[in-house]
Amino acid sequence: MIHRILIETGLAADVLVAAPLMAEPDVAATVPNFRAFDMTGKVVDLSQYRGKTVVLEWNNPGCPFVKKHYGSGNMQKTQAAATGQGVVWLTINSGAPGQQGHMTGPEAQKFVAGVGAKPTAYLLDPKGLVGKGYGAKTTPHMYIIDGKGRLVYKGGIDDKPTADTADIAGARNHVLAALGELRAGKPVSVPETRPYGCSVKYAS
Amino acid sequence: MAAVRFGLMAVLLWLFAGVALAQAPGEQHVDITLVAESEQPAPGSEVTLALASVPQKGWHAYWLNPGDAGLPTRTEWTLPPGATAGEFRYPVPQRLLIAGLMNYVYEGPFAPLVTVKIPAAATGAFPIRLKLNYLVCTDAICVPGKADLSTILQVGDGSVTPARRAQFDAWRAALPRPLGAEGTYQVEGKALRLSIPFPSAAATEGEGYFYPATHGAFDYAAPQKVTRDGDRVVVETGGVKAVGPIEGLLAFGKQGFWIKAVPGTVAGAKAAPAASAPWSAGVLAFLGAVLGGLILNIMPCVFPILSLKALSLAKANAEGGNPRGEALAYTAGVIFVCLALGGILLALRAGGATLGWAFQLQDPRVILVLLLLVTGISFNLAGLFELSAPGFVNRAASKGTGGAFATGALAAFVATPCTGPFMAGALGAALILPWPAALAVFGGLGLGIALPFLLLGFIPPLRRMLPRPGAWMETLRRILSVPMFLTALALAWVLGQQTGVPGMTIGLAAALLATLGLWWTGLRQRRGKALAWLPAALLLVVAVAAAAIVHPEAKASLGSQAFTEARLAELRAQDKPVFAYFTADWCLTCKVNEKAVIETEAVEKAFADHKVGVLIGDWTNGDPVLGRFIEQHNRAGVPLYLWYKPGEAEPRVLPQTLTQAMLRDLAAGG
Repeated sequence: MIHRILIETGLAADVLVAAPLMAEPDVAATVPNFRAFDMTGKVVDLSQYRGKTVVLEWNNPGCPFVKKHYGSGNMQKTQAAATGQGVVWLTINSGAPGQQGHMTGPEAQKFVAGVGAKPTAYLLDPKGLVGKGYGAKTTPHMYIIDGKGRLVYKGGIDDKPTADTADIAGARNHVLAALGELRAGKPVSVPETRPYGCSVKYAS
Repeated sequence: MAAVRFGLMAVLLWLFAGVALAQAPGEQHVDITLVAESEQPAPGSEVTLALASVPQKGWHAYWLNPGDAGLPTRTEWTLPPGATAGEFRYPVPQRLLIAGLMNYVYEGPFAPLVTVKIPAAATGAFPIRLKLNYLVCTDAICVPGKADLSTILQVGDGSVTPARRAQFDAWRAALPRPLGAEGTYQVEGKALRLSIPFPSAAATEGEGYFYPATHGAFDYAAPQKVTRDGDRVVVETGGVKAVGPIEGLLAFGKQGFWIKAVPGTVAGAKAAPAASAPWSAGVLAFLGAVLGGLILNIMPCVFPILSLKALSLAKANAEGGNPRGEALAYTAGVIFVCLALGGILLALRAGGATLGWAFQLQDPRVILVLLLLVTGISFNLAGLFELSAPGFVNRAASKGTGGAFATGALAAFVATPCTGPFMAGALGAALILPWPAALAVFGGLGLGIALPFLLLGFIPPLRRMLPRPGAWMETLRRILSVPMFLTALALAWVLGQQTGVPGMTIGLAAALLATLGLWWTGLRQRRGKALAWLPAALLLVVAVAAAAIVHPEAKASLGSQAFTEARLAELRAQDKPVFAYFTADWCLTCKVNEKAVIETEAVEKAFADHKVGVLIGDWTNGDPVLGRFIEQHNRAGVPLYLWYKPGEAEPRVLPQTLTQAMLRDLAAGG
């Protein structure tokens, strides 16, 4: 009997080890706080934006799906529209060193300037801690946090899961739609969608 | 200005594209070819098309649900008016866990299949065009791909070339089979327990895994525990997100079953994961093996060695030797050989499993080989020929502790052929039990063989109680050949049940051939010729080769026969009503219908009274010929029950749940 308990305990421990260290906040739940360096070496603390709506965008400049939205200017337009409303936009790069899309601070600055991106800050998360804490799976993967620190949207940037720029025109931009609803004091009508894109290139 | 900025942006994007830059634009990382099963599909019929896909090395394409990231393939058809395309059916995918993200992919060649309906009025050229948007990735990068595929078929007689048929049959075999029964699942907190009806008798290979087709049902990367528990499979996993009907693919190795599940109450799996139940079975099997080994000592082929050793032990005792050491060395030798034999068997099992062999007594080939083995043992016991161990073992057995070890090894070695029923039990256990338990069984057998000697070594007075070897042993040996012959007879009967008269005849002929070889060997042994085993070895090879030509006949319980379209046509030509049913070992509904309705006395009597021809199609291994026949009746899988009434062109498709009354009425009316 004792032997069996030991075996089962052993199994449980194995399961814990084998489980990916992914946490994923549910919609309406309070999100975990994080601190990360931005591309200029400044520390950004999520809690400093309490009271404001915050958008998180997972980024990998090498990913064709990210290129779709930056190459067409769609992501920059969405960023400009959001920050124009006083929304905080944090673009996060969880690519591990050596993986596609990983960038150092100066490289990220060059990228942001080059594509004319308009985030409030571009955060570097080479260890994937923020990414895994939020269960970020794809690039892009979008999250919206309300002023009370609760998750109100997670999922794709829009409803056309392709890498084709031509599909942007007819797509519903979930982020802009949710931000509009939040501003109007309405609940977010589509609070969760399936994100699409390349997998986040975490350190394995 | 805007254009300049856009251009600059594009250049920078290319710079940051990193590895992706290395891929020339338009380069494909998966070769996709559109293949039609029939180039001349008949009007009003369906033609199956395949997307024969070959990903480049290091690249993977995605299943219909790609998992945590990736994209399913999107398709856009251009078909002649009136033609319609169905849904793509995907083969069983693979799992690819990259940095905690689960991907459901194909890393090797695969072929999704789809059927296109040809309008009844179609004539002449039938152009098919298919645009694909797909994603193909390596561990590090992803590249979206596009393909514009087209083919022009000619509406005709629906003929299929044999090569094409074989190719499509192989692709069909890789598809999951619809299980035909609904599963239930229960959510407790974040944990999900899914129960899938699955007969306990169905053979499965490899580890079980449930691929959800429904997105958001649960966390893809969460570990799964898949347990077979009686007539069901229980899948337990975590990270549940949403509730609703769940659809997906239950896979065991390359076998796949398509299932749907609805919310319900699901009890936990009774059998603890591969631990407690097999362990208690293992302990029982171990004790049985010890007992079997013990009994083996009085077998004439082992006993002389034992008494020989007992004598040398007495000498050692008298001369102040080390009887305990000798006894332990002997025990070690016996157990070593038994474990080695077990190890070889387990290695064979592992090798066989990778080749897709399932070791089952239901397989007539296994029965035939057992028949040959038992026949050989019987004739050995009857004295037709002798078994002798290699000379070096005999020489090593002569003296000392090393000698004791070798004698033990020799005893076990020599014992192997005459272990008969005991060894067969251990053999069976070795093929079924998990490997540690299987090895324990072989170890137990060895311990049993060594036990008397071990006792003699530690309790010298027992030596006097040992019977003397003599002529009585030869007599005993001859007598023991009788139960062995009876075992052979029983095996021949089983073979006959499985394969009918032709199969049994092949089996008996093979046994005769093997016996002739052994007899010849016995004659050569008596004349002291070299290479005495040559004729036996040759003829045994031929006899074992006969295993290749025995095939299972459908399990006949009511004068039923295996389904073939030719046999069906024959019976219908005789104006007989025909009940054709299609079943599989993994189909619980089928088994329930068979036990409760078809194989009951009342139904069998009604069928016999009205001379109903019964044909059984066994789809357990996904036989493609049966698969096509089943599909022709608008079913994707089993169960399928067809009733052919004389004079009616088309069969009646009976409901999936049969009743005795229904079949009796049909028999009476047909």
